Amino acid sequence: MNTAIAVQGLHKSFGKAHALDALDLTVHTGEVHGFLGPNGAGKSTTIRILLGLMRADSGSVRLLGGDPWKDAAELHRRLAYVPGDVNLWPSLTGGEVIDLLGRIRGGQDRTRRAELLERFELDPRKKARTYSKGNRQKVALVAAFASDAELLILDEPTSGLDPLMEAVFQQCVAEQKALGRTVLLSSHILSEVEALCDRVSIIRAGHTVESGTLSELRHLTMTQISAEISGQIPALPTARNLTTNGRKISFQVDDQDLDKTMLTLAQSGIVSLTSTPPSLEDLFMRHYAAENSSHSAAEKNSHSAAGKTSRYAAKKTSRHAAEKSN
Amino acid sequence: MHGTWTLIKLIIRRERLITPAWILLLAVLAAGQANRYAQAFSTPQSIADFAREMTANKALTAFAGEVYSPTIAGMAIWKNADAIYTILALIAILTVVRHTRSEEESGRAELLGAGVIGRLAPLTAALTVTATSMLLAGIVTAFSMIKLGFDVTGSLAFGAAITGIGLVFTGIGALAAQLTEGARTAIGLAAMGLGLSYLLRFVADGGAGAAVKWASPQGWSHLVQPYAANDLAALLPSLALTLATIAAAYRLNARRDLGHGVLAQRPGPAQARHLSSPLALAWRLHKGLLTGWSIGYTIAGLALGALALSIPEVSRQGASVQEFLRRYTASPEAGMTDAYLWLISLSLGYVAALYPLLVLLRLRAEETTGRAELLLAHPVGRLRWAWSHLVFALAGPVVILGLAGLAMGVAAGDPLSVLPGTLVQVPAVWVLAGVGMLAFGVLPRAAAAISWAAFLFVNLFGEVLGPIIGIDYWIAKYFVPFPNLPMVLSGEAFSAVPLLVMAALTAVLTAAGLTALNRRALV
Repeated sequence: MNTAIAVQGLHKSFGKAHALDALDLTVHTGEVHGFLGPNGAGKSTTIRILLGLMRADSGSVRLLGGDPWKDAAELHRRLAYVPGDVNLWPSLTGGEVIDLLGRIRGGQDRTRRAELLERFELDPRKKARTYSKGNRQKVALVAAFASDAELLILDEPTSGLDPLMEAVFQQCVAEQKALGRTVLLSSHILSEVEALCDRVSIIRAGHTVESGTLSELRHLTMTQISAEISGQIPALPTARNLTTNGRKISFQVDDQDLDKTMLTLAQSGIVSLTSTPPSLEDLFMRHYAAENSSHSAAEKNSHSAAGKTSRYAAKKTSRHAAEKSN
Repeated sequence: MHGTWTLIKLIIRRERLITPAWILLLAVLAAGQANRYAQAFSTPQSIADFAREMTANKALTAFAGEVYSPTIAGMAIWKNADAIYTILALIAILTVVRHTRSEEESGRAELLGAGVIGRLAPLTAALTVTATSMLLAGIVTAFSMIKLGFDVTGSLAFGAAITGIGLVFTGIGALAAQLTEGARTAIGLAAMGLGLSYLLRFVADGGAGAAVKWASPQGWSHLVQPYAANDLAALLPSLALTLATIAAAYRLNARRDLGHGVLAQRPGPAQARHLSSPLALAWRLHKGLLTGWSIGYTIAGLALGALALSIPEVSRQGASVQEFLRRYTASPEAGMTDAYLWLISLSLGYVAALYPLLVLLRLRAEETTGRAELLLAHPVGRLRWAWSHLVFALAGPVVILGLAGLAMGVAAGDPLSVLPGTLVQVPAVWVLAGVGMLAFGVLPRAAAAISWAAFLFVNLFGEVLGPIIGIDYWIAKYFVPFPNLPMVLSGEAFSAVPLLVMAALTAVLTAAGLTALNRRALV
């Protein structure tokens, strides 16, 4: 079996609100899969369905080859979960919680537990009610990483961690991947996703808008080019957002037009050239920003696969929005 | 204390439904009862006869207090005032803790504290609103009595007695909220004070005398003697204790850090020793509550059992004594002591009905806080999780009622004599556990409201609310389990049938609740 999670056409409504609207998600065994989307996009709802805490209205869900609702207890033997908002039993110490969760799953690696406590700098003798959000997350993370689960479901697990602990977390995920385990990582921290994830799914308003490897997704967006040329500035019909300052020129271009554009530019004599591939943040902002533009435009943007122009428009909006918020 | 007024408005907003509801309930308990007695006793002679019979019946005066005024209003208050005082004290504790310690525990106080809010503002706001509600409860009840045409001075004195007990426990609740880090522990601590206050008053009116009564906050409100002495000086200790507890609460509040208690936290074990299953976890979560109830019930059993030795026989001529015997005995041979022991067992059963509901509300709290989510993401089925708590809801009442029965027996001279009386209460208590489980499974968001309403209904309907709205006592048999129990201590032969019916009803309600839980989403 090489698919750990297979979700197709998932729908879930709460009253009149559609939390999930034909959501698709495929996570291959052994990969670290980034699960991205703005707040309220349906990430946690999807995860709760994957955990069998909630039942979908329609659509198919397979988790480790089983039905997450019917086979919940058996499947949970093989997975570990870190909630986004970790709440622990106030009267138990962190160490007790880690042991309790480990034993309920059926054993944990004691050496690994001790090692993780040290790496995450967590005092296991403190009562859970005295832990900060970050420390509560560490408790759940240590319990998850010390388990021998083949699938880790992490729902924004680092939102309360400091940069040092974030680095420890990234090491731990890398180690899990090296052990052949599968990780579904819901996150807002794009550097984390770029560093860790093999594949990414971006959802918005309960619908999957992009899915693929990071390099696949990068092809969908534009490269930023800045250059200084010695000759006349040529006509560049494929360039977007063109600005010129003397002999300096800067613009964005679709990957498919890169070749042609470079040839044109080379004829004018390139003095210096910087090419910035689209960052995940660019990708992300494009989809997030669609929320801000009008609803119909957003729909069009996210559904038309070849709608480069409209995507570009959306991107412009996102820049604008970003500037405004600054 | 900047921001106090903003916080007061916030608390009023959150309390806008529940506070008017209980103020009205308490007024109905007093005025409704008076209205009913006014219809039932048409002549001064008939109410005086009733008062005389009740005064002689120590088994009853222990519950309700001494008879001070042989008038319609006086007897109505004699009947229900103690219930009003107790309910009000409980409400005061819950309200003040809800707006102080619970807010800190949830982190909401931190959110507000970061605003332009003085350090003492949250405590001041909670105290202001709670104390004002207590004042309103007194005023509304007093005016309801005046409106019905009863003596103005007596009605105002009664209102003052109500406000008095409410203020005392507002202060005690505020103090308890400063001591502990957890809201539940604070409520438990303050409720222990209430239990002690009740017990002292009970023992005093059961025969121990007025000196003991002066040691009980509930006793002070009784000693006002509305419609008789109207002695407001009896409320001086109430006022003094209120001011002392509030002053102490402020001192502690000013000295401690937000979110922390005075009773310090010690570091705990770095590793779990026996914590390896949902059941073991549930034991950790319920152990404190069960221990508290066990200690409380044992102490109550000892005190109430000792009183049984001094219950005098009374003449069986009067109509109300006959009615009393009809309710609490099943054989002409059964004496007043037997009736008393059965009545105590029954009362312990009625109160114990709260225990399984509290247990199941914790189950609900596990769900709302997301702790259940963490646990259920492990190989733990929902039924196994629910059962780990249900075990306590079902076995807990056996433990606490068993301990109370043994303690009563020991104090009354024969260790095993009272035990059957308290143990037959268990299936009736279970029915409430079934109701709680059904509510949790089917209507989780309303589970708390349903549980508290069910507890109040069971406690008030048969004896108190039913008669007020003109429903005969015996109708309660069809709605409340307790009147159906065999009176094994006062002349009735043991019969398993009602117990089996209640157990079966519990099984059906529980099964329905569990089935619903298994189908619904966790929220």
